[in-house]
Amino acid sequence: MKLRDSTEVDEGAPWVERETLVETSPEEVWEALTDEDRLEEWMAPDVELDPVEGGEIAVRDGDDERSGTVETVEEGERFAFTWSRPGEGESFVEFTIEALHGGSRVTVVETPTHSAATNTAAGSIATTGGGWGPRLAGLRHALRFALVA
Amino acid sequence: MVETLARGGTVTASGLAAQLPITRQAVSKHLNALRGAELVSASRIGRETHYKLRPQPLDDAAHWIQMVSAEWDDRLEALRRSLEKRRSRS
Repeated sequence: MKLRDSTEVDEGAPWVERETLVETSPEEVWEALTDEDRLEEWMAPDVELDPVEGGEIAVRDGDDERSGTVETVEEGERFAFTWSRPGEGESFVEFTIEALHGGSRVTVVETPTHSAATNTAAGSIATTGGGWGPRLAGLRHALRFALVA
Repeated sequence: MVETLARGGTVTASGLAAQLPITRQAVSKHLNALRGAELVSASRIGRETHYKLRPQPLDDAAHWIQMVSAEWDDRLEALRRSLEKRRSRS
């Protein structure tokens, strides 16, 4: 599953995209993203990862625990998985590595896999019902029209 | 449009159209889309429908985005440091 053309990702869901530039090759970045020992150097003190599509991932930091499934493994380029805390909504996380002159750009995207999930993820009460994914989709729709008008 | 709604408290479609460079029909269409998305509420006062922004869903989204962005900023900074450390060792 690729995030950008995936039908499983709600278009109206909130979307976080961050990036960092490093002076290391994509190969080295890839290792840091997909080797569980290397992940423990920066992601969380305890990481278990089977870096194959369908493999499991578990990330623990004290009482905070998330687990999920590896979705995409494209060596040196793209690594994606889903994760969630127990009883909370699931997010989709995707890393993209881009080779640059003398280094790499690492981009990460996180977005809820279904809109209702984010009410819990946001730590708010799910009283609004149905999640706000559809609402944001409506807002985006409205804003798009407003922009061209 | 959301900005205008956020400024104005309760507004009518005609009131909004007067403040925006779009027709009243276009405003009504947008308001219906926003109502469908439960981002605005509508109430009839006399012959006019008054619209009001319901900010809660946006607050939830903004909160989630803020929280998750901060988490990834921290993690990416830790990743960058981990890579630099290794690089200086080799």
